[in-house]
Amino acid sequence: MTYELNVAHLYGDLMNTYGDVGNILALNYYAKQMDVKLNVKVVSLDQDFKAADYDLAFFGGGQDFEQVIVSKDIQTKKKELTAFIEDGGPVLAICGGFQLLGHYYVDAKGDKIPGIGALDHYTLSQDNHRFIGDIVIKNADNGETYHGFENHQGRTFLGKAESPLGNVVQGKGNNGEDGTEGAIYKNVYCSYFHGPILTRNGNLAKRLLVAALKRSYPDADFSEQEALPVPATF
Amino acid sequence: MTLRSTVATFAGRSSYWFLHTFMKGGSSLPGKITTKIDPEILKHLGQNYDVIVITGTNGKTLTTALTVRVLNQKYDHILTNPTGSNMEQGIVTTFLRAPKVKGARPIAVLEVDEANVIKVTKYIKPKAFVFTNIFRDQMDRYGEIYTTYQKIIDGVALAPEATIIANGDAPIFHSKNLPNPIIYYGFKQQDEKDIKAKPNTDGVLCPNCQHILHYRYLTYSNLGKYFCPNCGFERPELKYAITQISNLTPTSSEFEVDGHAMKIEIGGLYNIYNALAAYAVGRFLGVTPEQIDTAFSEDKKVFGRQEVIDLDGKQVTLILVKNPVGLNQVLDMIATDSKPFSFVGLLNANYADGIDTSWIWDGNFEKLPALNIPAYITGGERYKDITFRLKVAGVPDDKHAVVPELKDVVEKIKTLPTEHVYVLATYTAVLQLRKLLADQGYIKEGMGA
Repeated sequence: MTYELNVAHLYGDLMNTYGDVGNILALNYYAKQMDVKLNVKVVSLDQDFKAADYDLAFFGGGQDFEQVIVSKDIQTKKKELTAFIEDGGPVLAICGGFQLLGHYYVDAKGDKIPGIGALDHYTLSQDNHRFIGDIVIKNADNGETYHGFENHQGRTFLGKAESPLGNVVQGKGNNGEDGTEGAIYKNVYCSYFHGPILTRNGNLAKRLLVAALKRSYPDADFSEQEALPVPATF
Repeated sequence: MTLRSTVATFAGRSSYWFLHTFMKGGSSLPGKITTKIDPEILKHLGQNYDVIVITGTNGKTLTTALTVRVLNQKYDHILTNPTGSNMEQGIVTTFLRAPKVKGARPIAVLEVDEANVIKVTKYIKPKAFVFTNIFRDQMDRYGEIYTTYQKIIDGVALAPEATIIANGDAPIFHSKNLPNPIIYYGFKQQDEKDIKAKPNTDGVLCPNCQHILHYRYLTYSNLGKYFCPNCGFERPELKYAITQISNLTPTSSEFEVDGHAMKIEIGGLYNIYNALAAYAVGRFLGVTPEQIDTAFSEDKKVFGRQEVIDLDGKQVTLILVKNPVGLNQVLDMIATDSKPFSFVGLLNANYADGIDTSWIWDGNFEKLPALNIPAYITGGERYKDITFRLKVAGVPDDKHAVVPELKDVVEKIKTLPTEHVYVLATYTAVLQLRKLLADQGYIKEGMGA
């Protein structure tokens, strides 16, 4: 294939609830159709993440126990991850991954767990309740509608520099209050969507891949990739 | 016996008799009536039994059935609950309909839903608990594996003298210090390496020091001879072990337990664990390996979960799938078929199936294309999800028929190019398909074994 992209699957061996690995499978599926070879590497505990080594990163959700362990380790990767994000590196972060890119989250036990603060959101808990069910959102800027399944205890509140991935049409979203779901900051896309998000919303997979291609191959023409039709799968 | 529990038992027994005789039913309603009158009824009903509680994510039903067969070799009176009656009300009903036993103390082998263990131990002090495994299962309902285990442990805490008979290959069952006596069972393999579980495996952190566990060998998922290279935490000593796997097919497994050759008429490595658990309970209660071997080979109907239906000459094996680990085991099992076969995947997402279909992405469908399967069908209420799952896994479109309606799936199966057909379906899809097949006279009504 003509193009190659290095993908960091952040803590893929620990942060992998609810079929989130399907996002990697979906990226591969669409990448192939875009003449792109993906080299996916799991970057986990005690392993280095170097911003310069990767073109795209995926960070899934985890169970409470694993997520606390990851919150400690990810502090050692904070500098490079933040640099990658600030430089326009495309990232997809789901659920726990979404939370850990922000300032902190409060877990089910009431403990405040630090994130890396690369994005300006924070996450509170709710007592004995989770937002569970099918969810539909609409992005105000590009008009795209996204389908997913949410299942989270956290209630996330976005910072000023972030815009939501979409506004809730059906379901609860970030916090059940302000009608937002997910977050966009530069080329970082965050969401609570499982389902997984990219298998149900191929247009978003395409968006991430195109962003990565344009950044890593600044002189190439990707109009063909951008024109790839993505039939509905859901 | 208090007046209240006498009244409650009478009301429950009569309602069971009524429902059973006139309504051809009665699984949880009598339990409901009885517990309404006397919430502590289980204490009264269960006090004369030696109770074995079998719990865990996968394998409860078969382990329970096998344990009953094994214990039957030595004991005359064994009570057990039918499939699906593994919550409090169903268990009360099980005791209610039991015939009165004179003489020896009867045994009750009970399959108990993980969250219902505490509802049983509140009133009954079991002789033993069996822990099969804990995997992600319908997580929209019960949450994470650690939460599930905690629910079980909360129940066990009320019965600190009961012996725990646990799958020693599962790290989670070695993660807490419990006062109970514990017996472990598992697999002993000769070939030892230093490997890690596949990236998408759940529960691979050392419970002691939270480093990633390594394995000398893996059987499936996160089961195997684990050890922590950081702190030395390792698999406990096994009391009962599979010492040899001799032959695996989709319909049978030959193996040795502690050097004794045994055979079960069902495929799947996970079912060997179920047989081993039943073996461990049998040995715990004084049944000999020879008697256990007899129990395994005597009555083949016990393995009826994988139902083979003759559909106008097609041998259709109907298999229930409900979570990624179980699904992967089924995929491994059908791969051992020496004859060509077709593949049918039926996905629903009703409450009983788990309303979130994300779990299919944790299943390793990627192994299908290498099996040279000539024809695939996907269907069910969530056919779009399962169809795209197979597409992404690399199943070619020209071999893949998308047939949403189950009645059309039945017709399509009749035209498949192979004699062997495997239908993997979620719970309500199994029920719907069986109903259709029953209406057309291919099988008898009901849930099967």
